Amino acid sequence: METTALSANAKEIGLRINGEAVRESVPVRMHAADFLRHRLGLTGTHVGCEQGVCGMCTILVDGQAVKSCLLLAVQLDGADLWTVESLATGDELNELQQAFKRHHALQCGFCTPGFLMLATSLKKRGEPLSRAEIREEISGVLCRCTGYEGILRALEEYLQAPGEKETAGAGVAR
Amino acid sequence: MNRVVENLEARRDGEAEGLDRADAPPFRHRLIGAPIPRKEDDRLLRGDGRFTDDVEFAHQLEMAVGRCPFPHARIRSIDISQARALAGVKHILIGPEVRRASGPLTVLRPVPGAPQLPYYALAQERALHEGQPVVSVVATSRAVAEDAIELVDIDYEPLPHLSDALDALAEGSPVLHPDVLPSNLLASNKDRSGDPEGRMAEADTVIEGRFRINRVTALPMEARAIVAVWRPGARELTVHASTQVPHLVRKQLAECLRIDEGCIRVIASDVGGGFGQKLGICPEDILACLHAMALRRPVKWIEDRLEYFRASTHGREAIHDFRIGARADGQILAMTNIYRTDLGAWNSSFGSAQLSSVVFTGPYKVADGSVERQVVLTNKTPIGAYRGYGQPEVNFALEVLIDRLARRLRYDPLEFRARNMLRPEDFPWKTPSGAVYDSGDYLRTLRMAAEAVGYQAHRASPKRRKDGRLVGIGLSSFVERTGYASARFLANRGSKFGAHESVTLRANRSGGIDLYTGVSTFGQGNETAFAQLCAGILGVEYDAIHVHAGDTGASPLNTGAFASRTLIAAAGALREAAQSLRDKTIRIGAWALDAAARDVEIAGTVLRLRGDPGRSMALSEIFTRAILGQGIPAGETPGLEATAHFEPPAAAFSFGTAAAVVSVDPETGEFSVERFVMVHDCGTVVNPALVEGQVRGALVQGLGAALGEELRYDKETGQLVSGSMLDYLAPTAADVPPIELLHTEVPSPVTTLGIRGVGEVGTIPPGAAVANALCDALAAYGVEISELPITPESVWRAIAASSACSSGA
Repeated sequence: METTALSANAKEIGLRINGEAVRESVPVRMHAADFLRHRLGLTGTHVGCEQGVCGMCTILVDGQAVKSCLLLAVQLDGADLWTVESLATGDELNELQQAFKRHHALQCGFCTPGFLMLATSLKKRGEPLSRAEIREEISGVLCRCTGYEGILRALEEYLQAPGEKETAGAGVAR
Repeated sequence: MNRVVENLEARRDGEAEGLDRADAPPFRHRLIGAPIPRKEDDRLLRGDGRFTDDVEFAHQLEMAVGRCPFPHARIRSIDISQARALAGVKHILIGPEVRRASGPLTVLRPVPGAPQLPYYALAQERALHEGQPVVSVVATSRAVAEDAIELVDIDYEPLPHLSDALDALAEGSPVLHPDVLPSNLLASNKDRSGDPEGRMAEADTVIEGRFRINRVTALPMEARAIVAVWRPGARELTVHASTQVPHLVRKQLAECLRIDEGCIRVIASDVGGGFGQKLGICPEDILACLHAMALRRPVKWIEDRLEYFRASTHGREAIHDFRIGARADGQILAMTNIYRTDLGAWNSSFGSAQLSSVVFTGPYKVADGSVERQVVLTNKTPIGAYRGYGQPEVNFALEVLIDRLARRLRYDPLEFRARNMLRPEDFPWKTPSGAVYDSGDYLRTLRMAAEAVGYQAHRASPKRRKDGRLVGIGLSSFVERTGYASARFLANRGSKFGAHESVTLRANRSGGIDLYTGVSTFGQGNETAFAQLCAGILGVEYDAIHVHAGDTGASPLNTGAFASRTLIAAAGALREAAQSLRDKTIRIGAWALDAAARDVEIAGTVLRLRGDPGRSMALSEIFTRAILGQGIPAGETPGLEATAHFEPPAAAFSFGTAAAVVSVDPETGEFSVERFVMVHDCGTVVNPALVEGQVRGALVQGLGAALGEELRYDKETGQLVSGSMLDYLAPTAADVPPIELLHTEVPSPVTTLGIRGVGEVGTIPPGAAVANALCDALAAYGVEISELPITPESVWRAIAASSACSSGA
């Protein structure tokens, strides 16, 4: 019986990730979250369901919040990506991360990168959001620990604050 | 934030019975009770957590598992030849090899009187539930391993299956384990005291009801995960796992793999949620280790969400038959409860909930009662512990029936509860099941909840709104057992774990303290609370405490984080170890400063003379002297390290009352929870931010289980029909109703610092509070709610059923 490794079917892609150019050959069936985690070592992007429901793997692709488990790595060819690793500058957490810390917006922390990247995209819209609107906007990312209260408080504060100084993650608007 | 802490100062200052007066100085330290930021946050906010899938080794392989698609099937044959031929496949295991290489999965919390079931990591000649592992493959990648699973040819013969506990108990049902049991009743046990039958006969009114509690899942955002590395020359199996109990996983792996515990090191760095589910081992843990030992290469298994729903232990699911007898004057005379917990096909590490028995009389003064647990086997995924573990189930039955009884006796449900509640002077109170409630002011939480929610005003007002919606209010009062009574108590129940916690503190040359604990970090904020207590007792800076958690190679032997017990037990160990370290630091430092020990104090980074702060010595200098053994008093041994183990003498019971305001459309059954108020007491609060986070998180899980979450099996096919994130409706931010929290603070007389546990309480009252509010709103229709989850459809059906009844009458 002849068998073949399906994973041998690969393609080279080029993209920018957190401001750096990357070229990699990837199996065409590898999803984007696995590519980030296991090829690039960017393990801050987590995987929770692989069907686009839980939102653990949310990243920014060309300025949009996207669930990276629903994309194939090959679809990232030419894209500009930002992950949670881009938010802090050196030892300093950015304003969003500091708001999360202040408001006890995380417990186990597994969902946190997803919420942070979603919040980063909401901030870029520049629109004021009510608490009810924030609830709706973040309902694509699940948290099983906090009951969402701390997350809502942190986001209310962050989204109301004037725009923070340019950090790596803020660079997506360029 | 609607948080009110009412300190009962007299008790807090050590008046409560048994509270050690030596606790007094650390109590007042600025750190204890402060909402300081968490130690855990920085790494998690930067994506720098170390979850199990983030661990990678050179030459690592990956495992996939082939699972039975039927609820019950005989395995006629397995052909792995095609799978083996696939490029990249390194190793395949099937049932017989697993049985040769390992023992059956052991149980940490056996059901008393139950036989050990032959639960192997892979199904032997029969698979007993959908999702049970049948074959496992290790390959160069998960994708290749999954391809290989597709190529395994298994010939199944489907067998008759059972998906309902009452069917499983019925005469003539197929028996799941005919070799070890005559029926599907794994075991039963009964607790009783007084004369419940006699008192029931005296009652003017006896009310009874059958309550069905849904099967749900903990749904941690990180599913299970393991990486196993075997170094044969060193005889060392290192296991990175997503677990709440590293030391207990080590024990079980040693038992099942038949190797010495000394050969195994379990590391749980960051854990993405546990909620009771990640207690002990599951079949895949054994499989990963067997592969790694055979291949001598690292093997990783990361559970995907589809296998999570079928293979990780489920929670809850029970049928309670509850009876209450009362006099016409509103005095409850007796309670009885017979309940069946649906265990699924096998006894998991933590098995079936027993806490339903422990707290079945709730916060009420009932001396005559009996409770019987029947543990039933069905062709479903095994049940394990899940946050609250028996308490939400029995609270739903009890508190819904309390409301029905109050209505029957024409009492206001609030006053009926108040009339029967235990009073502060009743403690310690021994319940009919033998539990001893330590202390509390239960009635006060009831009154506070009623006041906060505007109970009286609400009941007086018209209930129908202009838009046609009906509004109702519902209460649920509760107790929660936190911690364990003692190791002796646990031994009587057959548990294979103790009741103690431990900690090692080790001074370092930088002037800091390394704190080693076997408790892993899965969101409760242990690192923060431990450091807070340690810094508070020692008098050093919070930032000087470095917590090393969840590594059996580094930490003293402990029990682990579950049953809301961590801080109850760990605080005692921390206090003892910190005091020992402090004493030695003071002896060395006082000698170096040429002062008397009583005249010096630790203040942040220095040891100084009380009256003359100019005379001081840096802690880094004292610690260095101690570590080197140079410049210390004669007779003092070198080193500055302390390990302490502590077992709390008894369990501490948290308590409180929840109130829900619900509006419902009587035409459609659609309803919404408009307010949810909870008053809660967890004794002395170490960090109010952590407490609030725990309570809110658990409340939302409890509301999820009450109002939507359900693992539903199709009765005809035995298939799990809500087996993905798209079908299993966990609450999103948009689903959470407004929640108001209030706290009282009655320190427990039986624990260090008066701490009561807090981790699970929020899961307990939501079901009954919402059901009671709906029944109140729909009182004109005579609606009764006896099942969870409560959905618009189930409410609509209940309205239709009661309307049909009344129109037919």
